[in-house]
Amino acid sequence: MKLILTLLDKTRPLFQKGGRFTALKPIYDAADVFLFSPLARTSRAPHVRDPLDTKRYMSTVIIAVAPCLLAAVHFFGLRVLAMVLVSYAAGGAVEVLLAVFKKDEISEGFLVTGILFPLILPPGLPLWMVALGSAFGVLVGKELFGGTGRNLFNPALIGRVFLALSYPKAMSSGWIEPGQGLVGRLLEYATDAVTMATPLAAAKSGTWAALPDLFFGNVTGSVGETSALAVLMGGAFLLIIGIANWRTVAAMLGTFVIVTAGIYGGDPHAIIWHLLSGGLLFGAFFMATDPVSSPIMNSAKWVYGAIIGIATALIRNFTGYVEGVMFAILLGNIFAPVLDELFVTAHVRRLREEG
Amino acid sequence: MARPKGGYNIGIAGKPSLRTVDLPVPSRLVLSLVSRCFRFSDIRVEEGARVSAGTVLAIDPVRFSAQLIAAYGGTVRLGRVADHIVIELIDGASPGRPSGSDGAAQAGARGGSMGAGVADGSPADVRNRLVALGAWQFITDARTGLPMDPAGTANDIIVSTIHLEPFVASAEALLDGRLDSFVRGLEQLHELTEGGTIHVAVADGAGFAKELAALVAQHSWCRLHTVTARYPLGHPLLVLRALGLGRGPERPVWAIGTAGVLAIEGALSSGAPCVERIIALGGPAVSEPIHLRAVVGYPIDEILRNRLCSDDVRVVNGGILTGSDVSPERSGLDVECEGLTVLGELRKRHMLAFAMPGLSRSSYGRTFVSGLCPGGPPESLNTTLAGELRACVSCGQCIDVCPVGILPSVIHKFLHADEIDEVERMRVDLCIECGLCSYVCPSKIELLSDMRDARRLIREEHEAQKKMELKAKLEEEKRVAAKEALAAEDGLAAREALAAEEEAGA
Repeated sequence: MKLILTLLDKTRPLFQKGGRFTALKPIYDAADVFLFSPLARTSRAPHVRDPLDTKRYMSTVIIAVAPCLLAAVHFFGLRVLAMVLVSYAAGGAVEVLLAVFKKDEISEGFLVTGILFPLILPPGLPLWMVALGSAFGVLVGKELFGGTGRNLFNPALIGRVFLALSYPKAMSSGWIEPGQGLVGRLLEYATDAVTMATPLAAAKSGTWAALPDLFFGNVTGSVGETSALAVLMGGAFLLIIGIANWRTVAAMLGTFVIVTAGIYGGDPHAIIWHLLSGGLLFGAFFMATDPVSSPIMNSAKWVYGAIIGIATALIRNFTGYVEGVMFAILLGNIFAPVLDELFVTAHVRRLREEG
Repeated sequence: MARPKGGYNIGIAGKPSLRTVDLPVPSRLVLSLVSRCFRFSDIRVEEGARVSAGTVLAIDPVRFSAQLIAAYGGTVRLGRVADHIVIELIDGASPGRPSGSDGAAQAGARGGSMGAGVADGSPADVRNRLVALGAWQFITDARTGLPMDPAGTANDIIVSTIHLEPFVASAEALLDGRLDSFVRGLEQLHELTEGGTIHVAVADGAGFAKELAALVAQHSWCRLHTVTARYPLGHPLLVLRALGLGRGPERPVWAIGTAGVLAIEGALSSGAPCVERIIALGGPAVSEPIHLRAVVGYPIDEILRNRLCSDDVRVVNGGILTGSDVSPERSGLDVECEGLTVLGELRKRHMLAFAMPGLSRSSYGRTFVSGLCPGGPPESLNTTLAGELRACVSCGQCIDVCPVGILPSVIHKFLHADEIDEVERMRVDLCIECGLCSYVCPSKIELLSDMRDARRLIREEHEAQKKMELKAKLEEEKRVAAKEALAAEDGLAAREALAAEEEAGA
């Protein structure tokens, strides 16, 4: 530990102004503050600050997706890990290049996007497409809007939409059959696995997957979305530590249940089946709750969640698409600024009345 | 009162115990000419002059001639420390206590033995006497937080006994054995209002609440209000709003804290200048956090001698959320000082600190293990920024914690987009500058500074607008006057011409 610290201290002048590698300062800084807590001190009141920083804030999401990632490796093989690595490498490269170009710091937001993105892709997708989608998501979904904190849309979903529109065949056929038994595909790379239809696609032709399979994830689907159990574990963690806003989740799932109940005449089996299938839960806990692309006010988050929940149910049941979560969340992202305007205005008006 | 929103008690180590220690006579006094509200720019003494205890050293010409009073006699040294008057004590062994009877100034805090009530004179006389004794400084305008002009009379007075910022002198320590004086002070304040109501805010669970309630039960003009013991919910402006007194252009509402009530009681009962303060000395770097009784101008280095557990520290005048750092060698207690908080400076880096479970972290959110089981031991926080400056990710913590319900992150974005009109629409004027938004921000954005900047910009804009309007009005008046003069001249010329014609006709 001391050795690394000494090394960082010794090499620091090389990256400072006038040093040999000044251009690479963002990379040095990122490594420096990642490995060791920074020496930055408060310069004015308040003289102490809360120990929570953005790195910890973002890394809680990585902990939360760990169960999904483990389930994905179990069902779809070690290839999943390769997808995560490729996603991090490609998106990270874009992030770093732009930081060097803009002489700006590398933001931690990518730690989240980089891991969420492969989890919403078909497990059999070629790795170069993963790389392309990740890079596109970061570049167009985030950096073109001004970087972390300024993006209108969820960057991971922008990457996925890009792939879905550019490579519709690969994106609708990369569904690998999940591994069976205790070991599953834990020891396989799984490139030659059989492809099959997702439960939602199969349901359109009348074959309904069994509920326990949906719950445990023993079905095909996007990498990290199939196991409702794993998603619920990670989601519960995010809600308990307060990183995901429970209002968004409650509104989205609540309205989804109500609309689905309306469509299926209150059939409890259909409601639970739809709740557990596809990317609904993953989207509710991990994608819709992204604070940057959500509205700011807690009251607005209810409406935001409701828009997504209703849109998902409608898209799933009344359009040519079998899955509706991705478009529904992007639709919610579109509404977010308007909701902010409405709810913030109402809020400040109330402040005025209160005095 | 409605259920209070926002606020947070930081779990930081070094809370001062209720023990109050008397400080010995210092070797010198270092009197600051500048404090949060006052600028004692009109210096009334000369270099080398010998002054006695109770001498007025300087006056704030803007704020109702508030006075800076010497607590001990000695030789005046001007210019030795910038913006300070230093008094070298003539005889360190036994300089006289401030004028009046022995220990008269102490009565300012302890409560004298004289009778209750505003001794003699009209309320206006009493107010002037309080100004002369340096006790009026404790009364502020509840709406603006600025020192109150003694010329007016209050409708109501808000007395807040809730001082929860870590660490300023606590009401428990201030009132320890002085509850009678406090109630006498309330009575004197009541007489000053000429029939107004006194609202006393008491923290939920305060040890003295029951006793105080019994003591003021006979006074119909005094109402006790229990407020959730969460910083900064005891702020006078929040109490004012919660009571529904926040609006309307009625007579002013005064605000005063525990120390102020005791100071007024002491000054009126004993007639001695109010130069003594009870301050908190707390923070993680203080070896034994306690309360201290010291005079205004007491050198901070002498206070801290042998009381710190580290040399590498930051000394904050006031609490850690709103106070300002001072250099102990060059400063003394200023007239508004309520406490000194000492923090260790950050010098050490920790490996992968962000990824540690955090068994004993004190955080607003619940991302540390200790956050899941609150109420743990307070943390030894130091001056670390605890992260790096990042863009706002709209986590919403600043909005949750804000006690007045404004949206700091939104204001921050508008401010940096130069949209001052929008900032104003967002009601940044309601901000009480408690500092919690800056404290909780995971992106380490200086939101408190932003709020202050925003308020300043809006004020400047309004002033500029007013000036423009005034200028336009003056110009308009000038124009009208010139026109009238011209018309008058024309009339005169016409009359003269008429007269000339008549004359010719005749």
